[in-house]
Amino acid sequence: MPAVLHVNGRPVPLDEVPGDERLLDTLRWRLGLRGTKEGCRSGGCGACTVLVDGHGRLSCLALTRELEGTAVTTVEAAADDPVGRLVQEAFVEEGAAQCGYCTPGFVMALTGLLRERGSAAPTAELLRGLGGNLCRCTGYVAIARAVDRARRGLP
Amino acid sequence: MTPVDLVVPATEAEALAELARAVPGTVAILAGGTDLLLDLDDRRLDPRRLISLRRLPWARHRWDAGGLTLGSTEPLSSLEADEELPQRLPAFAQAIAAVGSPALRRQATVGGNLGRAAPASDLTPVLLALDAEVELVGPTGVRRLLLDRFLRGSRDTALGHEELIRSVRIPETRPSSAYLWQRVRPANDISQIGVTVAYSPGDGRWRLSLGGVPPRPVLVPESAGELHGPRPGEEEVTAAAERLSKHPGLVADLRASDEHRRRLASTLCSRAVARAVPRPGGRP
Repeated sequence: MPAVLHVNGRPVPLDEVPGDERLLDTLRWRLGLRGTKEGCRSGGCGACTVLVDGHGRLSCLALTRELEGTAVTTVEAAADDPVGRLVQEAFVEEGAAQCGYCTPGFVMALTGLLRERGSAAPTAELLRGLGGNLCRCTGYVAIARAVDRARRGLP
Repeated sequence: MTPVDLVVPATEAEALAELARAVPGTVAILAGGTDLLLDLDDRRLDPRRLISLRRLPWARHRWDAGGLTLGSTEPLSSLEADEELPQRLPAFAQAIAAVGSPALRRQATVGGNLGRAAPASDLTPVLLALDAEVELVGPTGVRRLLLDRFLRGSRDTALGHEELIRSVRIPETRPSSAYLWQRVRPANDISQIGVTVAYSPGDGRWRLSLGGVPPRPVLVPESAGELHGPRPGEEEVTAAAERLSKHPGLVADLRASDEHRRRLASTLCSRAVARAVPRPGGRP
């Protein structure tokens, strides 16, 4: 059986992918999914966060071939998931983006956290969970409001 | 640039066979990858082949009456989710929470942290103070080393090139412990220094360790020797803090000046003892 990884529901063959290629580079340069951003490339900013099997993951610190058999979701497919859509709407409603570079990472990280913990998780706990996502424009106030709005919007 | 191979063995035997086949220096062992991948990017390391430990059945931990045994490949986040950890090994729980960010801790592993032996590691100073033992598996069998013997220097350990770190054992002989650190930003940053204190009711003595010092985190017995019994008096704590602040490893680098580090060592030492000492009627 050929080695594949699923990205936003589509199989991606891994035969041509070098062993040391990062998921971030596969997404952006091999698949043209530029919604996932490269920030620090060292796990310190969260801009490259995607979901792997539903959980937040730093794509700059993941090797594509190690993820064989998993399902990756990027911001391009965030709206296909009810929680992802809710998060995106909350960010829009609260004006939680300024330059927008960190936004895909925040959206995916928060989607992962909400899927894991549900609406029972206090907003403060969700914010702690986003401690690895940096934003240099907003001062985080609008982002914190969006987190709270998304949590309250969960069924 | 030759492409780099990735192998993901499913068993310990396969992983050891891969290592045994390889020319030393041409392979890198990949656990969580949160540190190794940075070296690959910068070409500080240039292996031909990566051996991923992800599929090995090591990623779990178990408690027994004497302590904790944890698999080297278990992500820090799953240790963090264990509600017993803050009660039974408080300093270790505090050190885990200090690493990177929640997202990073989903990937980072204890084995990777020890194997990569970064001088600024938050985990190694705590594991030193708690007398942790590293279990190594290799072609000729298993050996166990106290972490103090395993760590040699900056990025340097006693791990043989055909060996892997399989597990880490942390005895529960020092139930009162605390780890405090200082950095510019609380998350996603590297500690300027870290101070661990741990008390053993068995022998009535304290252990004290210092992280963020070159070439590797160290035990500081001369400072710990100032502390006696479960509730050291203020003078003892001041003497321990004073001694710690004179440690020769407190030097200047890109993260902090030597003077700042010495002040931090003293302050964090006093606070760590206060935090470790069980308060009657209070929370542990």
